[in-house]
Amino acid sequence: MSTADRCAWRLEIGPALLVYMKKRRPGFARYVDVAKFILVLAACGYLIFRGSEQLGYNWHWQSIPGYLFTVHEGHLQIGPITAGLLITLEITFFSLLLSALVGFAVALLRLSGSFVGRLLAMIYLETIRNTPLLVQIFFLYFVMAPILDIGRFATAVLALSFFEGAYASEIIRSGIVAVPVGQWEASHALGLNRFDTYRAVIIPQAIRRILPPLTSQAVSLLKDSALVSTIAVYDLTMEGRTIIAETFLTFEVWFTVAAIYLVLALVMSFAADQAKSYFQTA
Amino acid sequence: MNKQKTPAGNDPIIDVRRICKTYPGPVIALDDFSITVDRGEVLVVIGPSGSGKSTFLRCLNGLEEVDSGEIIIDGIPLDEDEKKRLQIRREVGMVFQSFNLFPHLTVRKNIDLAQRLVRKKSRIEALEFSLHLLDQVGLADMADRYPHQLSGGQQQRVAIARALAMMPAVMLFDEATSALDPEMIGEVLDVMRGLARRGMTMVVVTHEMGFAREVSDRIAFMEEGRLVEEGCGEVFFSHPERLRTKEFLRQIL
Ligand SMILES: Nc1ncnc2c1ncn2[C@@H]1O[C@H](COP(=O)(O)OP(=O)(O)OP(=O)(O)O)[C@@H](O)[C@H]1O
Ligand SMILES: [Mg+2]
Repeated sequence: MSTADRCAWRLEIGPALLVYMKKRRPGFARYVDVAKFILVLAACGYLIFRGSEQLGYNWHWQSIPGYLFTVHEGHLQIGPITAGLLITLEITFFSLLLSALVGFAVALLRLSGSFVGRLLAMIYLETIRNTPLLVQIFFLYFVMAPILDIGRFATAVLALSFFEGAYASEIIRSGIVAVPVGQWEASHALGLNRFDTYRAVIIPQAIRRILPPLTSQAVSLLKDSALVSTIAVYDLTMEGRTIIAETFLTFEVWFTVAAIYLVLALVMSFAADQAKSYFQTA
Repeated sequence: MNKQKTPAGNDPIIDVRRICKTYPGPVIALDDFSITVDRGEVLVVIGPSGSGKSTFLRCLNGLEEVDSGEIIIDGIPLDEDEKKRLQIRREVGMVFQSFNLFPHLTVRKNIDLAQRLVRKKSRIEALEFSLHLLDQVGLADMADRYPHQLSGGQQQRVAIARALAMMPAVMLFDEATSALDPEMIGEVLDVMRGLARRGMTMVVVTHEMGFAREVSDRIAFMEEGRLVEEGCGEVFFSHPERLRTKEFLRQIL
């Protein structure tokens, strides 16, 4: 899973930047900082520009907005990239819900007293975590989808849900076992049954430990969803590939697609941080 | 202490027959342990650390399974039968050393919870009884606080009220005052004293010998999972029969 880059941002660069910005600096020094930042940005831009020039690349940024939106007879119509974005969001949303369900069920199974239940959960977890997501998607698409008679979209959602559900279940399980054993004992002594104990005592306490990392997990889900383009689901990535195949606007389209993923991921990371601080103070 | 109780041996509400309990290790926590407690009786259990006092209490409400032997509470055998086990858990209240209040619920909701979920009372009924119990433990004005906003002594009194909310036939106290600052021990012991006076059947593990002497109807001394000696308050303290009991009492008194 590609958590490393997200972690780098959230754990190192982000806070470092904050600390850096929060240091009280005299007015002039701050302007120097801004100037340095612009200089670095300009250098990057220049390198890309020179690199593409040497490749003999002709920039056509002006055609990109047309792939986002078009105005047709006074009506705003969405272009293929926006349509792809909507599909990506849809897939992410449904997979998120389903993976939380799967994660919860598997976590409970692992914590259950039933040996068979624990065994099933372990087999599921080990299989999912030790095979590539791409292979899981292909397996579902080429093997299971024809058997179950489900479409590409459903296959994509299922594949992502089972994949992320494995990680979600670990998050949920560790949130549950972090609740002190005394809470179980008090519930037991009061005569609560297992279901009520989970519902009224354990889950409300575990949720504050579960939600923040689960929100971060959603960012991975968003990024991993790009892989469903391999089974011809017209998500953001697939739309990008299609446009490039037709127009050869390789750089512009990939820049645009990457920027959209980046913005979405940053927004979700921000939400995760908010969730974290909310649950830490609550 | 003038309370109404039936003569000893007549009406045991707790009947423990030759129970054994071994923890993985193996540690023998209870070794052929038998005891009975009468209705309305206060039994104080003392003994050195690791002698199996907590294990004995935890077996009484099914928090631990015994390896062998029988536990019968209010005529109901604590056996495999899930229904009976649940029934016994509802009849036996327990107060823990570490309070174990539900931190995400207010004091009142801590006490409401089991009334609503287990006794299936209406919101109003539960609320009324909770407030009554809070009044009884002297915390009527704390109903809407959260546990972390209370002192240790107050938390433990809430925990007692929470257990009482189930209207248990028996209350178990496992070192209920051991985690408290000295100045808060008194207020919790007062509540326990009040319960004893009103005829609640209690099994109390404590290191408070003054309290044990004053409130107990009977004292049991345990060591290495066995019942060494039992006797009535004054006699037990002044004329213990066994050498081990003498040594133990000399150490702690
Ligand atoms: N969950 C457990 N797993 C393994 N051994 C245990 C467990 N609980 C208790 N024991 C062991 O069983 C024995 C009896 O323990 P118990 O807690 O009943 O003693 P106690 O009389 O309550 O002691 P204390 O006064 O220290 O509370 C001890 O040797 C203890 O180490
Ligand atoms: Mg103990």
